[in-house]
Amino acid sequence: MSDQIKVAYWPGCVSRGFTPELHGSMAIVAEKLGIELVELDRANCCGAGVIAEHNQELADTLNARTFALAQETGLSMMNICSTCQGAQSECQQRLDADSSYRAHVNEALSGQGLKYEKDVNGFTNKNFLWLLVEDYGLDKLAAQVVRPLSGMRVGPFYGCYIVRPKERLGYGEHPDRDIYLEQVIVALGGEVVEYDGARKCCGFPVITMNRETSLKQAGTHVGDAIDAGADCLVTPCPLCHLNLDMQQPEAAKVVNRDLGLAVLHLPQLVGLALGAEPKELGMSKHIASTGWVEERLAAVPA
Amino acid sequence: MADYKIKVRRFQPESGQGPYWEEFKVELEPSLSVLDSLLQVKDREDGSLSVRCSCRAAICGSCGMKINGQSGLGCKTQIGEAQELAEKMARATASGPRTREAGREIAGDDERAQPGAEEAAPIIIEPMGNMPVIKDLITDMESTHWTKIRRVTPWLLPHGEAPEREYIVEPESMIDITQSMACIQCGACVSSCLSMEADPDFIGPAALAKAYRFVGDPRDAEGVERLHDLAEDPHGIYDCTHCFSCVDACPKDVAPMDQIMRLRRKAGEAGIEDPNSGHSHELAFVKIIEKKGTLDESLLLQESFAPGIKGKLVPSRRAIKEMLGSIPTAIRGIKTGKMRSLPKLIPGIHHKLPGTAQDEVQAIYKHAEEHNEEFNLYIKGDEGELAEIEAEENLETAIAAPAGEEAPS
Amino acid sequence: MPTHDVLVIGAGLAGQRAALAAAEQGVSVGIISKVHPVRSHSNAAQGGINAALNPGDSWESHAFDTIKGSDYLGDQDAIEIMTKEAPEEILHLEHLGVTFHRNEEGKLGTRAFGGASAARTYYVADITGQAIMHVLYEQLMKHSDSVARYEEWFCTALAIDEAGECCGVVTRNVADGSMELFQAKSVILACGGNGQVWKPTTNALICTGDGIAMAYRVGAKLMDMEMIQYHPTTLAGKGFLITEGARGEGAHLLNAKGERFMETYAPNKMELASRDVVSRAEQTEINEGRGFPDGTVALDITVVPKKRVHEALREIVLVGRDFAGVDITREPIHIKPGNHYTMGGVKTDVDGRTDIPGLYSAGETACVSVHGGNRLGANSLLDTLIFGRRSGVDAATRAKHTDASKPSPKVLEDEDAMIADINSREKGSGRRVSEIKLELGQTMDAKVAVFRDEAGINEAIEIVARLREEAKTAYIDDHGSVFNQDLLGAIELGYMLDNAECTCLAALERKESRGAQYRTDFPERNDEEWLKHIDLEKTDDGPEISYSEVTITQWQPEARTY
Repeated sequence: MSDQIKVAYWPGCVSRGFTPELHGSMAIVAEKLGIELVELDRANCCGAGVIAEHNQELADTLNARTFALAQETGLSMMNICSTCQGAQSECQQRLDADSSYRAHVNEALSGQGLKYEKDVNGFTNKNFLWLLVEDYGLDKLAAQVVRPLSGMRVGPFYGCYIVRPKERLGYGEHPDRDIYLEQVIVALGGEVVEYDGARKCCGFPVITMNRETSLKQAGTHVGDAIDAGADCLVTPCPLCHLNLDMQQPEAAKVVNRDLGLAVLHLPQLVGLALGAEPKELGMSKHIASTGWVEERLAAVPA
Repeated sequence: MADYKIKVRRFQPESGQGPYWEEFKVELEPSLSVLDSLLQVKDREDGSLSVRCSCRAAICGSCGMKINGQSGLGCKTQIGEAQELAEKMARATASGPRTREAGREIAGDDERAQPGAEEAAPIIIEPMGNMPVIKDLITDMESTHWTKIRRVTPWLLPHGEAPEREYIVEPESMIDITQSMACIQCGACVSSCLSMEADPDFIGPAALAKAYRFVGDPRDAEGVERLHDLAEDPHGIYDCTHCFSCVDACPKDVAPMDQIMRLRRKAGEAGIEDPNSGHSHELAFVKIIEKKGTLDESLLLQESFAPGIKGKLVPSRRAIKEMLGSIPTAIRGIKTGKMRSLPKLIPGIHHKLPGTAQDEVQAIYKHAEEHNEEFNLYIKGDEGELAEIEAEENLETAIAAPAGEEAPS
Repeated sequence: MPTHDVLVIGAGLAGQRAALAAAEQGVSVGIISKVHPVRSHSNAAQGGINAALNPGDSWESHAFDTIKGSDYLGDQDAIEIMTKEAPEEILHLEHLGVTFHRNEEGKLGTRAFGGASAARTYYVADITGQAIMHVLYEQLMKHSDSVARYEEWFCTALAIDEAGECCGVVTRNVADGSMELFQAKSVILACGGNGQVWKPTTNALICTGDGIAMAYRVGAKLMDMEMIQYHPTTLAGKGFLITEGARGEGAHLLNAKGERFMETYAPNKMELASRDVVSRAEQTEINEGRGFPDGTVALDITVVPKKRVHEALREIVLVGRDFAGVDITREPIHIKPGNHYTMGGVKTDVDGRTDIPGLYSAGETACVSVHGGNRLGANSLLDTLIFGRRSGVDAATRAKHTDASKPSPKVLEDEDAMIADINSREKGSGRRVSEIKLELGQTMDAKVAVFRDEAGINEAIEIVARLREEAKTAYIDDHGSVFNQDLLGAIELGYMLDNAECTCLAALERKESRGAQYRTDFPERNDEEWLKHIDLEKTDDGPEISYSEVTITQWQPEARTY
């Protein structure tokens, strides 16, 4: 098929660490959608903004290496983590801005036979969410749905790194990137839940530094979504998932209320609509129970 | 001229009423600003509608407000664009139940356009966040914004006598701190700050950007002292949640978060340890990637609180507390299979990159640590844009030159 | 009653500089501003500040350029002081922390500016005024124990004692509406200019001529009130300013035919001739049909290297993008002359003293006169700082040698009554304040602008007189205490009308063309009859005109070409 999508796939660290269900569900969904993933297994951590805070050149070079590995495949790159998207876009912006800086960074890669080249049209690195909407297409996605998420009320949760800063993240060209989750939810047959936290911070970046501040953010957003009638949240960011799901019981203590809201990774939500079973999508690995979601789905035969 | 509907969150402190929403119809060019729409209401309809404003050109910093939930300046937001955003957001959530208006429930009418309805969604205008509201769109900046600004000792502390002429400094250093100097103290970043929303004591983006203006100033003699102060305050530089809200809110491209990250970098370089373990977290992260190429989360937690000591830990009291605090989470993780087994929590078992990949990562570390160059986009600019323009110009010349005729327009 | 030795009204550059200078003298200082100090309009001075500090440059050269720029109406003793003291002031600011642009050696770097024979403009990108003002505010925060700040307090009247000396000021605390009578031995008016009297204007909404009007009302003389600068490069419509720095960096002015028309008007200095010259040239092009249909000509910044624009003209890239929808690095932007600066104001000597003992003035409110008929770009910041400082020092010195005089409560009662009167007007009983302001602004822009004549000025005088009557019954909607901006707007309207009346009368009186005053019915400069200042003083029968000599030290008037 000529319009078959094939990408250099950077899964990130967390999808192979504390959220293995993300890595697994992405594989299942890619197959269902017919997206071929060429995994960049030699690539390294994006630095999550933390390495840049320590040594900016180090972060830029590490990501230049990842980009170079992707360029070796001759494919565009896809990631499944808002934080990777943001951290990598930040480095790419600097690398693309200045040829002498790029040459300096490439010097460090030369021993490995690698080189990051600025494409005429720009090197493309897209989160699965962006790829799904911009390259795969919402109509095509909707056509693939075998189990519409009818009646399921889904709250979008983007993760900061994929919505800000707009200028760096290509919003000039793609102004609707901050409503793609809503569009995907609708395409899958679900209902969008409007609540305060959709584009706010999950608090993860300060979980080790200021636990209270961090969990208060996570707890508040989950609570707001519950109050708005959400059956679950969906996020393209595994780090948000850690704070919203893994830490949810702890967050509940900080905000002093009962929580208990399922938080799905984006590929999981897509996978459910495409007919995959909750178990194969790794939903049993979640901390916050996904039982309610599964009950809802049970009413709609795959 | 076009018609717009603005929906303003009002508060009249002397009325005895709580906040309420009020809609106004305005008529103006789409290129005019949201502030212009408010001034039109004030001039023609209701002089009691209160908003601080002065220059109308994004230089005085008076008219900070939230427009469709986004913090910024009323004078710098074109009404046409605000309308498009209002409609886009209304469209995006059109399938969902609207149980909340503009993110929060307050008393008052609520006639938001329903999807498919003929009337366009109103532009929603609110006072800035993270600050008490005094009247309508006027907030109490003194008790929040300015108190925090004064917290960072916001004046130059040079060493000894001033030179006879000017201080001789690197030209780029002045451009660098001019980015922070470009701050007009409008408070939009403070209004948007998600850390401050959770921790009102956070020093915050505006004050920390102001602090960088001195830390980055070669004429200031107290940079290290300042860094100690900002790092050791538990609500200081390591309390920023890195959400980029301030970067987008800032009307002057100050990028407060970038300045906070540079304060962290400088504090780290000065070897300053902070009570939030921010620096040790950063070092731990950097070290893990050097060793393993990808992040081993379990190792990160331990290394963040008890850095550098293998086996024999003498962790701080906070470290013990944090480590203990993470145990329930870990147990839950193991139960669900999220963390595959106990060894997953023990450092040293995490998989490594295949083949020589890890050596490649380490070579990068060596190179970057040797140079540690901070490429500053604010100073350097994007040469690509420049080249693009030059290319266009050359093209135009090329088209125009041979025939000696005018280029087709 | 809050009491200070020195009270400064207005907290822009002149006011803040005055307050800091006075505090250095060891007296108690208060600074009052109707907006938070950093909102003051000195922010808008983008391009830079002049000083003959480079080797090879001289204060004499700077002084001559200023005098020539003023069309010989500037007082040369004052200009000498300003230009001689300029270098030291720049260094002082640098030492306080202003992030001035550096050359490759790390020393202060300069750019070229209009009407100057050397590149002597020091700058911080194109946010020079903002950068300096925020640094001064840093110093105010540092010296908070010696300078009390009254932020968001609005002044309604000056208090004069029985001996005819200024002894305080009546204020309204904007936050709660309470009225307060302040006592002081010296009061410095540094309230900025009166640009809002014209519409459109580059000036902020707060520039309503408060200081000029308050001084005038208690009998201080005003001077050079006819001299209103129209800036050559303002955006059509709202009047936003594009800094002269753009032309300093090499930008061209083009008419609709694409001609660089300044070749006709100022073949040597081209776009960098004095502002009055460039504004008239543009207006002539527009009037004679060579402008664009929207009544503008074009400023072409694309000829400035992109890197230089990025480094030195960042702010106007934003202004172009956000307020005109134009990427100035790629296409020319449409501009026209627009109201910008009040050369005239409260008549002072070189230490800021007005003719009322104890009352000082500095900055745009004052007329020393260093700008005469036309101010050079990058001299306004200098004026505020030099004469702000000198006023502060002299006001403090006076305070040390003067006994306190308690202001009479009567002045406060009068102001209470004035406000009660405004509040008592019923909705619909007269016109809206905003309507009157709009008509005033449009009238002044049509009749008392770049080109003037007797008939037009007389029309303006009539309209202003009618508006003054209408203002007496104009009503407001807000009758509350907290942040009643509606009420303050009504008071400001009164200030604006006083300013307008004085400008019209002075413009009618000066029957020649000099600097910003161009009379189509008297198109030549006439040194024989009009090399003199026009002074205005309030009497019971309205403004009374008198004249004062222009001080000439070593530069005799010459024909003015660029």
